[in-house]
Amino acid sequence: MSKIQNLELLVVGGGPAGLSAALAAANYGIKVSLTEEREFLGGQLIKQTHRFFGSEKEYAGTRGIDILKKLIDEVNKNNNIEVLLSSRVLGIYEDNIVTILNDHKMKKYYPQSIIFATGASEKFLAFENNDLPGIFGAGAVQTLMNVYGVLPATNVLMIGSGNIGLIVCYQLLQAGVKVAAIVEAAPKIGGYSVHASKLRRLGVPILTSHTIKKAIGKEKVEGAVICELDSNWNEVKGTEQLIKCDAICLSVGLTPLVDLLKQRKVKTTYVSELGGYVPLRDENMETSIKNLFVAGDVSGIEEATAAMIEGQIAGLSVAKRIGKNSKDEIEERIEEAKNELELLRSGPVGKKIRKGLSKLGLNHGKNYNEKFSEEALDISHLMKTGVPSEENLKNKLPSEEKVFDKGPIAISECFQRFPCDPCVKSCPFNAISENGNINNIPYVDFEKCTGCGICVSKCPGLAMFVIHKNFSETTSVVIMPYEFLPRPHKGEIVKVFDREGKYLCDGKVIRILDGKFQDKTAAVSIEIPKEYYLQARNFKVEEGNHG
Amino acid sequence: MRIQNHPILCFNRGKQIKFYYNGKELIGYEGETIAAALYANGIFKFSESKKLKRPRGIFCAIGHCSSCLMTVDGVPNVRTCITPLKDGMRVESENIGVEINE
Repeated sequence: MSKIQNLELLVVGGGPAGLSAALAAANYGIKVSLTEEREFLGGQLIKQTHRFFGSEKEYAGTRGIDILKKLIDEVNKNNNIEVLLSSRVLGIYEDNIVTILNDHKMKKYYPQSIIFATGASEKFLAFENNDLPGIFGAGAVQTLMNVYGVLPATNVLMIGSGNIGLIVCYQLLQAGVKVAAIVEAAPKIGGYSVHASKLRRLGVPILTSHTIKKAIGKEKVEGAVICELDSNWNEVKGTEQLIKCDAICLSVGLTPLVDLLKQRKVKTTYVSELGGYVPLRDENMETSIKNLFVAGDVSGIEEATAAMIEGQIAGLSVAKRIGKNSKDEIEERIEEAKNELELLRSGPVGKKIRKGLSKLGLNHGKNYNEKFSEEALDISHLMKTGVPSEENLKNKLPSEEKVFDKGPIAISECFQRFPCDPCVKSCPFNAISENGNINNIPYVDFEKCTGCGICVSKCPGLAMFVIHKNFSETTSVVIMPYEFLPRPHKGEIVKVFDREGKYLCDGKVIRILDGKFQDKTAAVSIEIPKEYYLQARNFKVEEGNHG
Repeated sequence: MRIQNHPILCFNRGKQIKFYYNGKELIGYEGETIAAALYANGIFKFSESKKLKRPRGIFCAIGHCSSCLMTVDGVPNVRTCITPLKDGMRVESENIGVEINE
């Protein structure tokens, strides 16, 4: 019989929530064992190549993979954290004994407190032939492509337009895979408008009020039949169409992985807004079982930034409970983290989360500022198509045409309220402002803006452009963000596209900012005929144009 | 189908190693999973459903959906999507060609 090992804190799951929880507790002297079933840490962050939204304090503007490197580095440097890799927690018993399988051996632990940060799993969708090889969860596509560098297919149909679906489509394009279309059953796009817009500029169709009827193929996916849906979500007769593709990617939501919590008889309840069965918990992330905490997607589906803050709250709460020192300081840090979470959730996109949390009896002690919970602009057209309306654009362009005469100016094409501030923080001239709330839409002060182009590389949504209307008598220059291969060369002629991905004209590359500062989001100046300065928003470099 | 150049990522593949899929010798890299190595070799069918013999491939790739189970070095039902590939490993599809008598 193996010995039972005593622990102060066991953290289950090495994703963003688990890593943050371990660090928060360990920084206050708690001895932490961090267990992860894979042979490496990181959870889903390991495949997030895009820049994160949120506030700069929580790494906004940084790519997920780089946030991960920072967290892992901190964990490895921290002497209070013992990392158990390739270790699967299989059992948790009523006396709080936890059994962990490692290298075919079952080990027993007795932790004083536990934080479950077990994450989520992908939801499935019912349609004919949905079991064919070539039908993937969006996460699987990301894992193969971004972790192992293996392409899952050559032409993908995406089902679901939430942020994961949109982000994975963009990543597929970056890896050189075609995206046939994005199909969304709801009448509007589920994810952030900026993600949808950047796909439309690249020519990817987004079909709202559409669904998949069946997959075609014998041994693997060869295509799909899709159809339109009416306002009651019923099929519109005669709208069936065949889409050719060699993979179908399902991005239809996540559900918390609560299996272990259920073993310990933690009280759970069904909250659709949070993805399914979620544990009941208090504001400090403690469940119905004393000293058993949760953090991240297992406590309700949100995103990585919220998961990291929840991890901090759970870790700090354990530190306060076990209490070796500095209780007041810990209490202060918990409050800070709670305020940060509240800010993240206070915009219109946080509405669903707020509703879900209120069903758990949580509103973080106060009411959210309703002023920020509605959209500032009418973005219904944008959310249906991914393309901003004339009205939306007018709102963000200079009110007087002559403003363009002063030289290059930055244009923000961000129309939706969500928590994000890297454009504001990156501007060396304080020309971009969100009026004191991270959920506001950023506006450019054209008087202060010099058109330097720093914000073009820093915006996580690739929604910042610089326009120099009067570059010459007949031409304008637009600085656009570019994250693809091949990289353009100075003097090269490229194809220029509008916001719907339609070809506009040829353009000439006159300057490329693509250094360490840009961190792989190059800011490329393209000279175009003057008539297109308000339309040109994307360009493609032709393969083999480099001689 | 391996990605050679990527605008954001750089793949530091491990040592090239040999493994066997249904007796056939294939090449993979140390550090990748069995499923990734099979996919890179163009193998997408991992098993057949027991009764109707429908083909099965991977779905979740994080060890939760049980769609990628294969027999590895004689051990059945290994989650190939999260099991690292090792030199000389013998990987076999499950249920393919197996008749079930009712």
